[in-house]
Amino acid sequence: MIQLEKVSKTYWMSKENAIHAVLETSLNIKKGEFLIITGRSGSGKTTLLNLIAGLTRPSSGRVILDGQDLWSLTDQQQSRIRNRKIGFIFQFPSLLPSLTALENVVLPTIFNADHTKGTGTPRAEELMETVGLNDKLNAFPRQLSAGQQQRVVVARALLNHPELLLADEPTSDLDEQTETEIMDMFQQIHHASGITIVLVTHSTQLVRYGSRAIHMAGGVIETMVNN
Amino acid sequence: MAICAFLVAGFAIAIMLILRGTENSLRLANDRLGADIIVVPVGTTTKVETALLMGNPTEVWMPESNLATIAAVPGVAAASPQLYLSTLNNAACCSVASMFLVAYDPTTDFTIEPWLNKTIGRGLKLGEVVGGTHVFVPEGEQNIKIYGYFVTLKANIEPTGTGLDQSMFLTLETARDIARLSTELAEKPLIIPEKSISAVLLRLEPGTDPMTVSAEIIRRVPGVTPITSPNMFQAYRQQMTGLLASILLVLGITLVLSGLLIALVFSMAANERRRELGVLRAMGATRNFVLRSLLLEASILALEGGLAGISFTILVFFLFRNLIMRSFGFPFLLPNPGLLLIEITVGLVLALACVTIAAMIPAYRISHMEPALAMRE
Repeated sequence: MIQLEKVSKTYWMSKENAIHAVLETSLNIKKGEFLIITGRSGSGKTTLLNLIAGLTRPSSGRVILDGQDLWSLTDQQQSRIRNRKIGFIFQFPSLLPSLTALENVVLPTIFNADHTKGTGTPRAEELMETVGLNDKLNAFPRQLSAGQQQRVVVARALLNHPELLLADEPTSDLDEQTETEIMDMFQQIHHASGITIVLVTHSTQLVRYGSRAIHMAGGVIETMVNN
Repeated sequence: MAICAFLVAGFAIAIMLILRGTENSLRLANDRLGADIIVVPVGTTTKVETALLMGNPTEVWMPESNLATIAAVPGVAAASPQLYLSTLNNAACCSVASMFLVAYDPTTDFTIEPWLNKTIGRGLKLGEVVGGTHVFVPEGEQNIKIYGYFVTLKANIEPTGTGLDQSMFLTLETARDIARLSTELAEKPLIIPEKSISAVLLRLEPGTDPMTVSAEIIRRVPGVTPITSPNMFQAYRQQMTGLLASILLVLGITLVLSGLLIALVFSMAANERRRELGVLRAMGATRNFVLRSLLLEASILALEGGLAGISFTILVFFLFRNLIMRSFGFPFLLPNPGLLLIEITVGLVLALACVTIAAMIPAYRISHMEPALAMRE
């Protein structure tokens, strides 16, 4: 599904000072995989996820999604792929505070040129039920716990039936019990829909949830384990 | 950002109101006077214009014999004399203080009489007057008292925004009757010098060049200044041009400063929401969508601020127009609703343009940022 071909990402702080976040990394992610990427802070795992998502342009190398080089596409085509094929779950609270939980889940439909808004709301309600928050449809983000907010984000990520779910440390701000609940939910979604999931975490304990795990250090893949 | 739009739109509408209001006022005053040339004693042009425009009473005199000489100048179709008088200030014998009085000759007049015939169907009788739009009979009384003499207000002229609105028009006969009786009735008598007039209003024959007639008047009658209609209130027009330059400078500075402030504030506001915008991009929002959204938000704020600024300015002008007129020393007339709507639109467009242009660069920068970079702390 996704191929990374000798991908590098360098951030230039000044003319002389550069940070090589990802170095000549190649990776092949198959359809239906649940890939866990681990590593310490600064190991390049989030940058790798951003490269997979097309959220940042590689300094060198190619990112190929379903046979298409992501960076040969226009901004409109890239945005369409992100909207239709990819669901995102971020580490930080990413719900819009002025919208209710349900409105936040429906939000991606406004970027869809076909305007699936009409079907968006029933789908959003169904997803809210799936994540166990059907009684919080009209709650605002500030009225939800961190765990509940993250569930809403998961529901939002799944709205457009994505083929790929990308999660960047989705449980880092949660307590142990909620972390387990969220990870169980990911596993359940993966088993039920066969969706491809790439999840970044610093916790090696979560590796058991994935079908494959890679460990990053210094911007390169250090180890790769198949479960 | 809305405050900047408030200032820009407020300033713009204020400038338009002043310029259009003054120009409108001067034009109406000119039309109301209805003369092609006004001949006044030499050196009194500004005094007479100030009296007509601002209602500041003045008394200027020239020999009555000038009338016949001026009327005989080739090209003059009609010549009518006027006396410029004033009521007393802080005197019990005058119910209106320091009011500019214009006495005219109904037998030769071609400016007030036609209007009277159209409005009340006849000319003024002895003891009757016509007032500007702001002249009224004091509450609880039947007449207006001038030098202890009771006059009847027969009609009011439509507003011009000038001193004519606070002036009173009466016949020479009434003026002389007031002067005669004022020695007994008033605290101080009304003095009209013997065989004197204040001004001569001229209507020219069609196709006559006013400048030629003016030159001939100067040649034949010493001690007078003819003011041709296009040059009427020239001093005020020059004053307005000076004022306009200052106002435009202030508007220019306001626009530049507002633009810079808007760019800074917008840049800061958009920067604070960088992560939110990054999330939207990750969810499928295109760069153009984000750019449009930011500019739309700026436009809504500009419209809100602009509308508030315009409403506030119009309210201030409406409530304090007389104070503004007196403070700045220029005549002013509120525009009609149609013109006001155009001015409001121009003010809003200016505020919108200022905010949108200022917001363009920061909005473009944020919208074209890589989503991953936008979401980073």
